[in-house]
Amino acid sequence: MQSTLQQANRKLAIRMMVIACMMFGFGYVMVPFYDAFCQVLGIDRANSDFANTSAAVIRVEFDTNVDDGLAATLEALDPVLAAKPGGLLKARFRLVNKSDQPLKVRAVPSYAPARSAGLLQKLECFCFDALTLAPNEQRDVTVVLLVANELPAELGAATLSYTLHPELAPS
Amino acid sequence: MTTANDALHAPSHDHAHEEHHVSFVQRWFYATNHKDIGTLYLWFAFSMFITGGIMALCIRAELFQPGLQFWQPDFFNQLTTLHGVIMVFGAIMPAFTGLANWMLPLMIGAPDMAFARMNNWSFWLLPPAAALLMISFFVPGGAAAGGWTLYPPLSIQAGMGMDLAIFAIHLLGLSSIMGSINIVTTVLNIRAPGMTMLKMPLFGWTMLITAYLLIAVAPVLAGAVTMLLTDRHFDTHFFKAVGGGDPVLFQHIFWFFGHPEVYIMALPAFGIVSQIIPTFARKPLFGYVSMVYATCSIAILSFMVWGHHMFAVGMPASTQLFFMFLTMLIAVPTGVKVFNWIATMWQGSMTFETPMLFSIGFVCLFTVGGFSGLILAIAPVDTQMQDTYYVVAHFHYVLVAGALFSLFGATYYWLPKWTGYMYHEGRGQFHFWWSMIWFNVTFFPMHFLGLAGMPRRIPDYNMQFTDFNAMATVGAFCFGLGQIFFLFNVIHTIRGGVGKAPASPWEGANTLEWEVASPAPHHTWETPPSLEIVEKGLKAQGLLGDHHE
Repeated sequence: MQSTLQQANRKLAIRMMVIACMMFGFGYVMVPFYDAFCQVLGIDRANSDFANTSAAVIRVEFDTNVDDGLAATLEALDPVLAAKPGGLLKARFRLVNKSDQPLKVRAVPSYAPARSAGLLQKLECFCFDALTLAPNEQRDVTVVLLVANELPAELGAATLSYTLHPELAPS
Repeated sequence: MTTANDALHAPSHDHAHEEHHVSFVQRWFYATNHKDIGTLYLWFAFSMFITGGIMALCIRAELFQPGLQFWQPDFFNQLTTLHGVIMVFGAIMPAFTGLANWMLPLMIGAPDMAFARMNNWSFWLLPPAAALLMISFFVPGGAAAGGWTLYPPLSIQAGMGMDLAIFAIHLLGLSSIMGSINIVTTVLNIRAPGMTMLKMPLFGWTMLITAYLLIAVAPVLAGAVTMLLTDRHFDTHFFKAVGGGDPVLFQHIFWFFGHPEVYIMALPAFGIVSQIIPTFARKPLFGYVSMVYATCSIAILSFMVWGHHMFAVGMPASTQLFFMFLTMLIAVPTGVKVFNWIATMWQGSMTFETPMLFSIGFVCLFTVGGFSGLILAIAPVDTQMQDTYYVVAHFHYVLVAGALFSLFGATYYWLPKWTGYMYHEGRGQFHFWWSMIWFNVTFFPMHFLGLAGMPRRIPDYNMQFTDFNAMATVGAFCFGLGQIFFLFNVIHTIRGGVGKAPASPWEGANTLEWEVASPAPHHTWETPPSLEIVEKGLKAQGLLGDHHE
């Protein structure tokens, strides 16, 4: 009788110890699980790219506007990006023609603060040319920026804004 | 079987004879008896309570007025960190384990804990852990100073005091896990005949569920601090952003442990007051089964709400809502419990002996702490309150008025059983009212300080916070003084108190521990209590035949 109880006790204790060991492992399993979870959900987490503390990191925000009465939308798909000095920055935008007519538009950029224009140089931009959109067409376009090697330390963030205008026919 | 019971009432010559041959060192250092180990745990917890309390008073002294008077900020941070770690792991948790050791076998009719030698081991891991924590004040760089939550990057950059804290946490965790395995095995395997799970005293239930919680989460904390340790010394990058790790990950792992830990410190308190209130209301506990289910639901929900400690780290709104609503959901089973305690008192023949006073004090103040918890559960409000004194007020209402008051209640309730003598009732009541008043003077103003924006863990503050801080400091010193009086009270009882206690000094007490003599003989229930005795108690507790299993 006594030994049956002891056996039962021992069995239960071993089970508990196994659970405890598994829970210790669970703490470690949370590491890759957390990485995957953040990646899938696109949660902005600490990134080792930002760990280079010797170089200032600049935050570039993209803003969009559309002229009154223009039946189109412009949306920044990557509204905020972090850039390293000397690096390239690629931002995507989505253009939609909401009318049943073909539409010829042009995006006009502006920088804030204005001096950041000289530090973020456009290598390629959808704003270089006028764009013709078919009725109800949706098109993804890009801008590629070259970030200056030397960034002033006090410049933490810059905004690049695009406003969509109808392209007027040359008179 | 009755003869076995009679033998418990009469001092057993065999046992008395046996004990004569046991030296002090053998009895206490090689202790395998659940009562001796329980006593060791309780004294250890009390000494840690005083140690942590002195640190709290050092903190409050500095905060009496603005400016830096006594400590440099770094030492102040060491004090807040060690105060937290010592109170949680050194005082409250061991005190509950000590109570479980002393009372569980008596209450469920078991001769001892299931693994007596492991029990000794789990206790003796505690003093070295406490020593490591105390030594850490004297090493280069001082003790850990990153807050009791040990968040990186502070905890990664700290000096060797952090390593000592990490090793101490390993030892404390190991001790908790072994203690918990013992409790689970004892409760599940060695109950008296006739005492089925749903006829067990509620203290047994809450300790069982607490033990399960500990087995599940203590290893997770051990994992987290091990990762901290390897980040510090072995070039891993779990939490170091430089190597691609993420400090926020530590918060997730820590609070996966930390939130259930809150209930590890609350559930045993629920169990204690569920024993005391029916005794002094002279009525069976209202809604026993719903109490059991509420305890289980709280335990399960506690695993799903850790994110509410991290609303301010940046979390998608949907995740915030998930954690917010689940947190609020915990208020439901907790509300069930508070309702049942009040319903137990309703139309009972209540008397207000010290244990009952502490229990009623517990119910009132724990509810205040619960409500401020509900407020903090609201994500947008929490973003404002994060790391302010409002949070400090909230968790002290839960942990001091909750865990500590229940422990005082338990001490007065079972002191006659432990010592064989009655405590001085007037002094007990004085201790209660003194603690009650000064507790509120200490912690209630902290709500206002928090709402006004005073941050926690800061040694200096703006002039506008002076009055409430001064008030809290006066309260804290008086509250602390009252606990010396408690020690005096207990020692007075041990040395004879106001006279010998009968086997059952409380009129309405019907659980099994009151069937054995006071003081409880060294060996009890070596022959399990008879079905007759068990059923007599169950009938008085209203647990026989009127609910389904």
